[in-house]
Amino acid sequence: MNSGSRGSGTSKGAAARPAAPPVFPGKGGLIQAMQQAPGAAEAPETVILVPGPLSDREGRRLLEEIVRAAGGGASRIALDLSELERLDSRGCAWLIRAVRAARRRGAQVGLRGECGEAAEVIELLSKSFAEDRPRPPASAGFLESLGNKAFRAREELLDAWRLAVDAVYWSFIAPFEGRGLRWKGLVTEIEDIGIRAIGIVSLLNFLLGLVIAMLSAAQASTFGVQIYVASLVVMGFARELAPIMTGIVVSARTGSAIAAELATMKVYEEIDALKGMGLSVSKFLIAPKVLATLVAVPILTAIGFVTGVAGGFFLNAISLDFTFDRWWEQTIQASTVRDLVQGGVKAFSFAVIIVMVGCHNGLRVTGGVRGVGMATTRAVVMDVFLIVVADLLFTTIFYYFL
Amino acid sequence: MERKPIVEVRDLVAGYGDYLVLDRVSMDVYEGEIIAVIGGSGCGKSTLLKNMVGLLRPVSGSIRYWGREITAMDEEELAELLRKLGIAFQSGALFNSMTVGENISLPMEEYGDMDQELREILVGIKLDLVGLSGTGDLMPDELSGGMKKRVGFARAIAMDPRIVFFDEPSTSLDPIIAAGLDKLILEMRRLLGITVFVVTHDLGSIRLIADRIVMLDRGRVIFTGTVSDVEKTGVARVRQFFDRQPDKTIEARGVATV
Repeated sequence: MNSGSRGSGTSKGAAARPAAPPVFPGKGGLIQAMQQAPGAAEAPETVILVPGPLSDREGRRLLEEIVRAAGGGASRIALDLSELERLDSRGCAWLIRAVRAARRRGAQVGLRGECGEAAEVIELLSKSFAEDRPRPPASAGFLESLGNKAFRAREELLDAWRLAVDAVYWSFIAPFEGRGLRWKGLVTEIEDIGIRAIGIVSLLNFLLGLVIAMLSAAQASTFGVQIYVASLVVMGFARELAPIMTGIVVSARTGSAIAAELATMKVYEEIDALKGMGLSVSKFLIAPKVLATLVAVPILTAIGFVTGVAGGFFLNAISLDFTFDRWWEQTIQASTVRDLVQGGVKAFSFAVIIVMVGCHNGLRVTGGVRGVGMATTRAVVMDVFLIVVADLLFTTIFYYFL
Repeated sequence: MERKPIVEVRDLVAGYGDYLVLDRVSMDVYEGEIIAVIGGSGCGKSTLLKNMVGLLRPVSGSIRYWGREITAMDEEELAELLRKLGIAFQSGALFNSMTVGENISLPMEEYGDMDQELREILVGIKLDLVGLSGTGDLMPDELSGGMKKRVGFARAIAMDPRIVFFDEPSTSLDPIIAAGLDKLILEMRRLLGITVFVVTHDLGSIRLIADRIVMLDRGRVIFTGTVSDVEKTGVARVRQFFDRQPDKTIEARGVATV
């Protein structure tokens, strides 16, 4: 692009890259270039006049003409630019397209003719006139991509492990070593994750209680044992429904929020800023979230349990017509400490899953703003998957072993 | 000057909500010139730019392009006009989810009636122009800040606009790249005849490329003229700016947002 190469530079270009005929004219340099092109002496030359100004219609005509010439066996084509005065980039694109089309058909192409400013535009864009750019290498084969996936999975597990160690240390050990805890952060997080979720968790568990009661009442009524609906609801909510409903609500509300917040902070270099101040990301961001979630989710689950059972009672009140005392007696009779422990264990494990998956995905974000959305999606999907897997695991353990 | 301006800004009052930033700004842009709008941080340069390209609507005053008032235009007319303008944003403002090449070809796909191959060649041309040949398949987050800015420029000139607006082209570029961009602006103007509107406070760049300078201070135009007029002017603030003299305290001017 340096202006010094004009004229004298053309011959230099020809020497450096003999395979590609130089097509960067400069004033008068072009014809010299053509004469130096390999094979210049032998083959006859086909001259095509480039119409000017070169707009879409002329461009297409030029392309057709050059393709026809090259297809008809012309091995050397000269484009006469003398009618061009100005050349906008669209015209230039047509010119490049024509040159490339001819080259692909095995013809050599040169440019010639005095064309004033157009020549300078062409010189400015000399790189684009050179050969077609090489295509990017083909994508990896099956085994290679399988291997890549395995390596990435290993790396991700290592990341998760490091994060877990850090989180445990900064949440449960560091505060007792006098390294402090962000109380302010913890309080805000508990409010965000716990208190603000009470409404939606209660409502959804209540509705689910109603649904379960209705479904089971229809079955129980065929045997005349509707009172056992009370047992089923309390057992179902203690062991399974309250933890999983709460877990899913919290992962949608909080798991996504954690991932999105950390991912955004990472993209905008806030995480780097924290690290740059010598501060621990785990202490400032992770530990408050871990502690808040571990406190909030079991309490929310307990609330969900109560409202779920209340949902069951509500159905009784509107259609089964047992007295409150009778229903209450049956409920108490059916509740066992064992069921409550099972629910508690699940709630606690779901809390661990939600907060760790959220932090993990948030901190692993790549690819700017779009990455934030993908990290969030991934976090929620992973949450729900892992919650169901953990649920199955604990249910199995309690069913077979305890 | 007997040339007719292609953009006329008259008594422009603009700001954000109740907070007014521009106070009756008037200026002209002539065909084929490079005009630099300068001034300290917070003086309203970016606000002026945003109003001129219709991103913000002014409180009062008029902005005319080729005689047509844009403050009265509806969305569609404005979009029509904006096709003749190119805007290069301060930090590139690239679409993160698209490759560099897709970023540049987006306006071509939406507005241009051209096929795939022509678009690819044009993307190659634009990338060559900004010195980033062969980066078309990269994603924006794989680029450095200066590269993003240059891709932003390539996208701004994708449709061969008549006027290109630059928000601080040389900020955060190294001097060599910044000088290259200056040279590129000059070449584009000479060869393609585009008009360039630059918001900047890079003194070197102003001296090199600007045909005319408009200086804003506290939302008002305090100086209009060529680089050589700057040497003769009696406006103290202009002299201070070009001599890089500090205020007594940095807070004295206040640093407003935007």
